Amino acid sequence: MRVVALAALLAALACAGSARAANGWWAFERVTNVDSTLSWKWTYPPSSAEYSRRWRAGSGTSRYECHPAEGWLPAGWYSQWGHWNQYDGSAVRGRVWWLQDKYCRDGVTRRTELFIHSEETTSNGQSCSSAYDDPFCWERAADYYSLGCIKLARPSPAADFPNDLGNAHSVYHNYGGSSAHGAFTDAYELYVFD
Amino acid sequence: MAPKQLLLPAVVLALAATACGAEHGTNDQPAAARPRGVYAVGATVFGLGARAVKLGAPPVAPLAGWLTPAAVPSPDERYLAYNAWEELREDDPALSWSDQGIEPGDPLATPSIRLYDASTGTDELLEDGAFSVAWRADGALAYFKGAERDYRAGVPYVGSVFVRSAPGAKAVKWSSEEGRYIVVSWADGSLVGYREHEGEALDVVAFEGPGRMRVIAPDSGLVALSPDGRRAFVEQGPAQGRPNVRVLDVASAKVVARLDLTGVDPSVGAVDYAGDWQGDRVVASTASGLAVFRVRPKTIALEQAIRVKGAGLSEPHFATASPGHVTAWASVESGGVLFDCDRATGRCASFKPLPQAHGVHGFPVWRRNLYNPSRPLREG
Repeated sequence: MRVVALAALLAALACAGSARAANGWWAFERVTNVDSTLSWKWTYPPSSAEYSRRWRAGSGTSRYECHPAEGWLPAGWYSQWGHWNQYDGSAVRGRVWWLQDKYCRDGVTRRTELFIHSEETTSNGQSCSSAYDDPFCWERAADYYSLGCIKLARPSPAADFPNDLGNAHSVYHNYGGSSAHGAFTDAYELYVFD
Repeated sequence: MAPKQLLLPAVVLALAATACGAEHGTNDQPAAARPRGVYAVGATVFGLGARAVKLGAPPVAPLAGWLTPAAVPSPDERYLAYNAWEELREDDPALSWSDQGIEPGDPLATPSIRLYDASTGTDELLEDGAFSVAWRADGALAYFKGAERDYRAGVPYVGSVFVRSAPGAKAVKWSSEEGRYIVVSWADGSLVGYREHEGEALDVVAFEGPGRMRVIAPDSGLVALSPDGRRAFVEQGPAQGRPNVRVLDVASAKVVARLDLTGVDPSVGAVDYAGDWQGDRVVASTASGLAVFRVRPKTIALEQAIRVKGAGLSEPHFATASPGHVTAWASVESGGVLFDCDRATGRCASFKPLPQAHGVHGFPVWRRNLYNPSRPLREG
């Protein structure tokens, strides 16, 4: 019995060690505002072999990346400077990743207040009460629209969408993302393809 | 084929081309088409007087885009209040902040509001660490001022809204709590602007005086104010449900008319903020070009949809001296482009004044129309 327990412990440590050794980053391929792809990619350095998981994601309501509060996320590399499980904002709540501000392609307009998020409550629940669109309830495909952020679906009492937010959250933590929560300055990054 | 035999097919082809012209390119330039009103090419401003004026800095408001004008002529047209942006360190949009060695809290830029006086030719700093400005008919000036002067990496640029009775008068704080505000226009005695939240979510708000702010349109964008300043035409895109436009009474925030955009010409899709209202017509940019709406006391109707291929038009305005024309601008790969659209023909012509002009850090130069969205613009 002791041998089995020791083996299990060693296996768990080995898994934890490999997870910590992974090097991960986000990638976002803009296709349409409601049907693009967010990936979490990772490697196990020094190996260059790349692994990834991907989910349907939305961003913006138009393709004009320079339009504040409307265009999809501008192209380029981003620093991710925070991650919360129970973010308590006024417009964005629950499991979120906070991204740096970004000049868009005109070199003048700055997009700000950017996140990867879904529509859920601070406690990761759903608040579905109105007839059409609740801000903290994922009830329809049009919820992929955002004002500029990247949005992932999740299940709700109103609709049976996949748990992409939950899966992305798990994959992020298990394969090279930071275990830290809150604001931090680790160099986890997002690349948005042009 | 003899010339007369050529004529009929040519006429048929011409008619066919006209009939199929629902989507118009931007290269046709009718004889009357030209840039109209006041506009900027980088730091050079046209339309303020007989000659072009070179400002101390290009009028830009990076933290507001075109949620608010880049520069606002005073009601008496003596002054031009404009937003400026001094970069404290270069920020390459292709690279992440971490890759550029930018740490949280590092100062990146300083926004400011400057004042150009056309009567003296002076160009002076009005307020440092501030952006977005609205100018009332009696000369009162409102703006947003940051709690800190500099915009810093990873630090939301929060601050307060201030009002001065005249450019040189003492500033009075009107917002009761710090936040991300963007000042847009005066609606008679009410100051209208935005309060911004995470994800660039916007509430349209109205300030009635010091410490008196109301949300008049949550999760919405302001298209324009009625000529008397009593009503606001606002929009919501698909991120908030069915795309729609509404007219609301500024004093009560009550919606008096509403149009579901999923029930009109599908080319409209959704409309954008920062348009214009003249008489009973409102012009706004859309996913495919421009939309002109007719506003009645309790109804809104789509009157015209003008398609403009390949360009997301911004800040469309009825030309003051020629209401049949709409001016706008667009940001394209080769730089900013001005547009003049003729409502009678449904065609838009594009212009690039000062084609050799260069922007900062190698980026294309901005060409953008400048205007005062406050209403009414004359006292009495």
